[in-house]
Amino acid sequence: MAQRWLCVAVMALGWSLAAQADSPYALIGQSAPDFALRAAVGGNARLSEHRGEVVVLSFWSSRCTPCRTQLAALNRSLTTYHSAGLAMFGIGVDDDPAQARDFARSASVSFALLLDPAKGVSRSYQVDNLPMTVLIDRSGTIRTVLRDYSPESEQLYLQQLRALLNE
Amino acid sequence: MLQMTRAIVPAAEAPRRAAPAALLAPLLAVVLLAAVPPLALGAPPAGPDTTTPAAAAGPPAPPPGEAPAATSTDADSPTTSAAAESSPDTRGLDQEIQDLKKDVVDLNKDLFILEEELLFPANTQVAVFLSVDVGQFFGLDSVQLKIDRKEVINYLYTPREVEALLKGGVQRLYLGNLKVGGHELVAFFNGKGPNERAYKRGASLRFEKGVGAKYLELKIDDRQKKLQPEFEIKDWE
Repeated sequence: MAQRWLCVAVMALGWSLAAQADSPYALIGQSAPDFALRAAVGGNARLSEHRGEVVVLSFWSSRCTPCRTQLAALNRSLTTYHSAGLAMFGIGVDDDPAQARDFARSASVSFALLLDPAKGVSRSYQVDNLPMTVLIDRSGTIRTVLRDYSPESEQLYLQQLRALLNE
Repeated sequence: MLQMTRAIVPAAEAPRRAAPAALLAPLLAVVLLAAVPPLALGAPPAGPDTTTPAAAAGPPAPPPGEAPAATSTDADSPTTSAAAESSPDTRGLDQEIQDLKKDVVDLNKDLFILEEELLFPANTQVAVFLSVDVGQFFGLDSVQLKIDRKEVINYLYTPREVEALLKGGVQRLYLGNLKVGGHELVAFFNGKGPNERAYKRGASLRFEKGVGAKYLELKIDDRQKKLQPEFEIKDWE
């Protein structure tokens, strides 16, 4: 009997996670919420200063294993497309800024890794999965959101990024 | 002989026979115009079927004294004349669009002023500005502002904003409303002091809000004698 309940609970959990992953992102087509955050290493950053550029935001955590791989992949795309008007920020959602700083130092990426310990920015961008990548066009509108990291999603990311850079 | 007799028609019957031909000629011309591609219309007619009326089948030979432009083909003349005529129209349209844009910008400015006047009327308005002079001993990171022990703003500065302030820019940090009477303003400055150390300093000012707008300025200055930054709150009378 207990096994049956456990099975039902696991199925319900899986169904709810799948539903969450498939649910449409409510901020698509809306203006990206502005923010100013401290960087783990380097200067502070404000989103509105990058109007006119395509901006990629990647939400990460030091406890998220795929986040490190994804940040490395994003760094490669930044190297390629930086001259085309691409700006990139990683936003750490760790509660402990020291832990996030350690992760940021070890990540060795060329873009700013910002800290959001109060999670105000994560809340405004409705982050429900990690890693999560938000693509913002040159006019400051949220255009694409990727809620996972896989070779397929990386291809989709590059495709969407190129389309935004060409606009 | 028979053919000759058939060919020779009486003068009275001539108009009656010519009438169907005259009716058919425009019809034939219309059919030909519809059948021939537009670009081919300008080409010289080839072949024996050139007995169609000259006006329909091809361009008439220009009279000796007439300008060639007046005798250009029917297909070419509309495009060239349209291009020549559309450019002033486009210019006029561009001008209209520019005028409209200017009107929108002016209207937006007026609405902004109106909104500020409504939200922050002059008799309750209080504005706090921030300026940085030199900034050799202090690298600005953030400013926290409290009025009557209540935090009204906590502003984080980016390197670009600090650069703009160091170039002489003055930032309106806060705009709000206060009732007439005595108030206290406390500002906390966070940043990097001499030798890149974390540096936090505060400054406070008690001020009297009268009838009319109140303007206060937070000034960050370098004190050369002490090799330290100096923070000051100035009341603009």
